[in-house]
Amino acid sequence: MAWNIPELITGAVVPLLAVFAFTLPLLAKVFGEKKFPGIWALIASVVAAVMSTYIFTVVWSTGKDIVYGFGGWPPPIGISYEVDPFNAVIAVFTAWIMVLITIYSLWYNRHFDEPEWYYILLIGLEAGMLGCLYTGDAFNLFVMIEVLGISAYALVAYHKNRGEAIEAAIKYGIIGATATTLYFIGLVIIYGVYGTLNMGQLSLLNAEIYYRRPDLIASIGVATLLAVSLALWVFTYKSALFPNHFWLPDAHPEAPTPVSAALSGLVVNIGVYAVARFMYTIFGPASMIAPYYRDAVLTALFIMGFAGAFIGAIMMMAQKDLKRLLAYSTVSHTGLLYMALAIGMSGVPQAAVALGLAAMTYHVLTHGLGKALLFMSSGVFIDSAGTRDLDGLAGVGRKYPLVSASFIIGFLSLMGLLPLGGFFSKLMLYQAFMDAGMLVPALAVIVVSAISVLGYAKAMYSVVFATPTREHREIKLHGIHYMLALMAVGLILLGVLYPWISQGLIHVANSSLIGPGVREYQEAFVRAFHALLGR
Amino acid sequence: MITLSEYFMTILITCMIVNLGLALYGVFFKPNLIKKIIALTILGDTANTFALIIGYRMWVAGVPSRPPVFTEWRSNNPLLLLVFTKTAVDPLPQALVLTAIVIGLAVTLFLVFLTLQAWKIYRSVDMRDIRKLKG
Repeated sequence: MAWNIPELITGAVVPLLAVFAFTLPLLAKVFGEKKFPGIWALIASVVAAVMSTYIFTVVWSTGKDIVYGFGGWPPPIGISYEVDPFNAVIAVFTAWIMVLITIYSLWYNRHFDEPEWYYILLIGLEAGMLGCLYTGDAFNLFVMIEVLGISAYALVAYHKNRGEAIEAAIKYGIIGATATTLYFIGLVIIYGVYGTLNMGQLSLLNAEIYYRRPDLIASIGVATLLAVSLALWVFTYKSALFPNHFWLPDAHPEAPTPVSAALSGLVVNIGVYAVARFMYTIFGPASMIAPYYRDAVLTALFIMGFAGAFIGAIMMMAQKDLKRLLAYSTVSHTGLLYMALAIGMSGVPQAAVALGLAAMTYHVLTHGLGKALLFMSSGVFIDSAGTRDLDGLAGVGRKYPLVSASFIIGFLSLMGLLPLGGFFSKLMLYQAFMDAGMLVPALAVIVVSAISVLGYAKAMYSVVFATPTREHREIKLHGIHYMLALMAVGLILLGVLYPWISQGLIHVANSSLIGPGVREYQEAFVRAFHALLGR
Repeated sequence: MITLSEYFMTILITCMIVNLGLALYGVFFKPNLIKKIIALTILGDTANTFALIIGYRMWVAGVPSRPPVFTEWRSNNPLLLLVFTKTAVDPLPQALVLTAIVIGLAVTLFLVFLTLQAWKIYRSVDMRDIRKLKG
């Protein structure tokens, strides 16, 4: 069998990260240097980022999905990874932001008494996220959600002698484990109905039943409906969609700052991605749950998304804790993501759906980058002031002009100010709703943005512009402010390059989530099946 | 007239549904962390039992299930293979259950560690005593 380099690399990313993670404690003992675990994690994240970039360029240039069957087993028999442009884009973004977060963790190192355990969990988090993104198998998705989940719970509880951290982790962990178990029950029902757990084959079977055997829908439709309902809870829980958002504002203030950045900027996207994969690729417009039940689910997601966006924006105003304020902002923006996701109801023209999903992907990028930037720069301020309280932070930003500038750019982008990325992603979303003829959702986007401005303005004012009420400690930045400035430049670029990025993302949505893209997903599965059987 | 296997299967399924409800009730409404974790393991076991029942292919009516081990492979009779594929238990759900058990063990252990840590800090495993965070 000839070696196929892109396929091998697709299969190698996650196992390689696991190897990096589990050799770490041994090597840390050998080298005994306090900086070593961080540098090792940095190597791991850079390797993963380069590999995911390579995978993306291959998928983008060939226009064909990559399928890798583990152990040489053809897809429906063995576990397989399947990469299409949509998950390739999000994976590249995730991997590179993880590199930045690891660099920031190196700067943050002095807060860690046992850095090796922290970095194992951080690499584990990245492995879980990339696994969730790349996997083409619904059961493997369950395993990867558990990998992601347990790393995230443990990172939240990293300061294990603080009662609040333990409490936040318990809340997050117990309900998270319950939700994943219900997803497992959903998977078992799906297996009972379809006899397979491979996403490509599920999608194919759905299309076949929809077009050729509509008589079957009556007998197995209800079971499928139940399975989808059970599956969606864990995804919305991981992405903190209202009313599952309760863990997020507790977990963020207690977690180490780089972990807050990862949880808010990246982990929430995984849930959104998984829901998109379920509602567009597997149970798309041509599946047995369409149109009535699929529309009902999407409407429910839209309503919860709007409620989350609204409540997050309102709650932001009432917060006194900077990290908690940012956490509510995440709840608000996740709501916007789900509102964008819900656009694909029956009767909406396909161009509008593509535009909406492209807007969702765009918002994933601008929100993830902006939120990571905000958490990291607020980490600098919190260290300097020694408190997370907004009153105690008053004026601390004046000491660090470059960090403050990046901090403000991050806020302005989330708010949606003109030359920045956040404005264009919201504009695109608005346009998509207008094209789809949904006037009320389009207005909802504007209303939510307008309300959230108040909360952002409060945070910006008290951290940067307010008069300092007391002396703040001077801390060494070691060049970390250049990285933050670089992220701010990234946000500006995401806005300035809007025409190209939006074209690219519409192409991504077209070639992954609707019509031809879903067909390519199914065909890639069939191709891999035949290739591995030697036919 | 109900057969013995049908009778036991009915009992099993009834127990599973009751267990599912009880476990969810325990996870959400019991204040004691240890009881929450016990409820969580019950939920996991219920899910695993359900997977095994699916593996027994309940939907193929009237076909008794056999272990998924093909012993007559020496005789080149395709009919035997056909009978085997019709009657054997599906082994894949058992593989899923194995994975789920291992993951469940890790998660339970981690939650127990958190509970221990909570006990060290608060001298209580009651969520009502621990609840310091709001919102």
